[in-house]
Amino acid sequence: MSERFELPSELNIYSVLETRDTLLAWVTAQASEGHDYLEVSARDVGEVDGSGLQLVASLSNMDTPWRLVETSDAFAEACRLMGFAHWLDKRYLKTGAGEGAL
Amino acid sequence: MSYNTDSDQDFIAQAMPAFISEAAEQIEAIETLLLELEEQPDNRELLDSLFRCAHTVKGSAGIFGLHRVVEFTHHVETLLDKMRDGDIALNPEISTLLLQCNDQIKFLVDTAADEEADTPEQKDTRADLVVQLRALTESTSVSTPGVALAGAASGAPVAVGLRVWSISARFGMETFRNGMDPLSIARYLSGMGRVVFVRSGADTVPALVNLNPESCYLSFTMELETAATREDIEGAFSFVLDDCQFDVEAPETAEQKMARAIEEMPETPRLGDMLVSVGAVSQDKLDQVLSTQRQTRGMPAVSKPMLGDLLEAQAGVAPEVVAAAVAKQQKLRENAPSEERYIRVQADRLDAVINLLGELVIAGAGATLLARETHHESLIEANLQMNGLIEEIRNGTLGLRMVPVGETFSRFRRVVRDTASSLGKEVNFEIVGGEAELDKSMVEKIADPLMHLVRNSLDHGLETPQERVAAGKSRAGHLTLSARHETGAILIRIDDDGRGINRERVLQRAWNRGLVEQGVVPSDNDINMLIFEPGFSTAEQVTNLSGRGVGMDVVRRNIEALRGSIRLNSVPGVGLQVDIRLPLTLAIIDGFLIGVGQSKFVLPLESVVEVIEAAHQHVKVDDCGRHVLELRGQILPVVRLRTLYTIESTLPDRVSVVVVNSSRGKFGIEVEVLMGQHQTVIKPLGRLFKALRGISGSSILGSGEVALILDVGSLGDLVTLDGIAASATVQASQSPQTA
Repeated sequence: MSERFELPSELNIYSVLETRDTLLAWVTAQASEGHDYLEVSARDVGEVDGSGLQLVASLSNMDTPWRLVETSDAFAEACRLMGFAHWLDKRYLKTGAGEGAL
Repeated sequence: MSYNTDSDQDFIAQAMPAFISEAAEQIEAIETLLLELEEQPDNRELLDSLFRCAHTVKGSAGIFGLHRVVEFTHHVETLLDKMRDGDIALNPEISTLLLQCNDQIKFLVDTAADEEADTPEQKDTRADLVVQLRALTESTSVSTPGVALAGAASGAPVAVGLRVWSISARFGMETFRNGMDPLSIARYLSGMGRVVFVRSGADTVPALVNLNPESCYLSFTMELETAATREDIEGAFSFVLDDCQFDVEAPETAEQKMARAIEEMPETPRLGDMLVSVGAVSQDKLDQVLSTQRQTRGMPAVSKPMLGDLLEAQAGVAPEVVAAAVAKQQKLRENAPSEERYIRVQADRLDAVINLLGELVIAGAGATLLARETHHESLIEANLQMNGLIEEIRNGTLGLRMVPVGETFSRFRRVVRDTASSLGKEVNFEIVGGEAELDKSMVEKIADPLMHLVRNSLDHGLETPQERVAAGKSRAGHLTLSARHETGAILIRIDDDGRGINRERVLQRAWNRGLVEQGVVPSDNDINMLIFEPGFSTAEQVTNLSGRGVGMDVVRRNIEALRGSIRLNSVPGVGLQVDIRLPLTLAIIDGFLIGVGQSKFVLPLESVVEVIEAAHQHVKVDDCGRHVLELRGQILPVVRLRTLYTIESTLPDRVSVVVVNSSRGKFGIEVEVLMGQHQTVIKPLGRLFKALRGISGSSILGSGEVALILDVGSLGDLVTLDGIAASATVQASQSPQTA
């Protein structure tokens, strides 16, 4: 299992069921390995909609905290529009895409 | 979905009457609210209620597919919304326009099922109204952001332009499956202006483990700075309307925010605490002001400064905020629930219950009678207890039919407004005691007579402004409609400060018309009452409002048919007071039970003046059983029920005469047995007996016997009809009442 979860390029209603299953499997595995937090990357996300954002938001209600470590412009823009701008935390973001997020 | 269209249609057809009656109520409420709003144009609550009413009509009309109603009401709603936003202030023209629009809505609802009723004329009227509405609403939506910003910066109320709206939305579970996306809505909104703040609620989203990713749990709140109107903003949600709760809030000033915070407080004991908790004043400052107030202890209450005033003066609290807090306190004191709860019950169901209850009262009396005969003590006691309960249920159930008269009264606002303006008169119309309750059927029946009296006061009583000024009165006349309870009755009073009744003219006319014999001058009060005589009209010029000469006698007859009475108190030049007394209910009366032969009759107890004994048989009677007696030097017409209703029985030696009061004056009823007071449940007479004169209904006694209820009014007419009557009545009515 990789250290971080790569969100798919199409993070929308058409793929959300599938993404949820892979994400849940990864989260469960991470938890069993005893990680303090989950790292999620949105580097490849080109298309995102409300259901995709909701899926990511559901991570916030899990026991293990998560952070966004890399993001595409499209994902960052969607976060800002929908009121999830607090995910774009420069302390954890590796690339410049999240700059000027807040 | 096509397979259930039929059942949908059925459902709509079934629910339609309910919609129409509900819409009629809303429309009535709109009218009342508009008229109230005219008087207090700054009353935000009235405006909000007004908007809600219009919105409800539009909404429910939409469900029933009444497109004409929806389309038209939409324009009205737009205007009201602009008024709510403070873009448009209510003025008499707008008020008139809105009243006309309300008439149009009423028309559209009334003719909902009938396309043909919508004539070209009506369509023209409607189109014209829409043009006027649009002219008003569109002239204000042109926004000039620069000006508006300047206005906002200087703290002046912003009429148009950029404003910060708070928008909150909570999407339904099916949003994604319906092909909608909250993200696109957020994107659309952000395209309308500058997003000051946006935050999604992640709390409502279940944890990943429990998440059904195709259901939507999203919600967000947004503050959007935009020049767009409320409709534009709400338009963003137009595709998710069915499955989304959203709220678009108009911008608030800091003071408004505080006022609202106070309004929203669940329980607020003290003025000072309220103001501290919303941050309008600091605790220190409050203590300081309170101690100032304490120094005034012992001063008479009138000159004692109010805490609110002190806070305004010394602590610089905005008057607006103090007013909101005081209003909240007031509300708490009145302990009035903000929304009253009603159950809508079909009137006939309630009537059925009341009918059954009448039967129960009778059956109960019967059971008590039988129990007494057994001399079985515990049975008698059980019966008494049951009767006590029945009485309570009876009172409670009759109470269910009680409605406040205010509903009927407020309908008159419009009449007064329109009548006064068409007569070129100015009038301040006041309603007092609208909360007094009266039987529902009574309220309906009293509306027309009251309307006539109100119009009469406006037409004949109140003078034109010029005449009033010349007479040293204020330009605008006063007309007060009041109601209050008196023992077992309600008193409705119509009070005007007009010219009163011109007795000379009334008397002259009565002489001319032969209502009173030439040269005879009755008492002042009797002269006043002449206006209620059939065929009497004093208006020099018969107007189309009142004074057709057919109204007033009908008014009196209607009121008397409700077992009510009417009395005039006129002071020439100063005003006229019309007092109408009505019994609280039509279903049960206090009766006086009498017997003739085997037959039993009930007289309304309140009409009984006295009972005298009379030697019987030697008096001559005519075919109708009429004769006269001498009572304390006055002639008293008497009716003999035995002869009138051809009752067969052996004649007793002595009889009693019950002296009763009717609108025709006093007269006597000859009876054989007196059985005293009796609670009487009134039952209507069958069709067969409708023609029977002098009888208004029937009642069943505890023994199962039927007693007929005598109608004193019509019996009086019968007794005093021509012959012996004409001269006797005048005399009888002139004699001092011995009651």
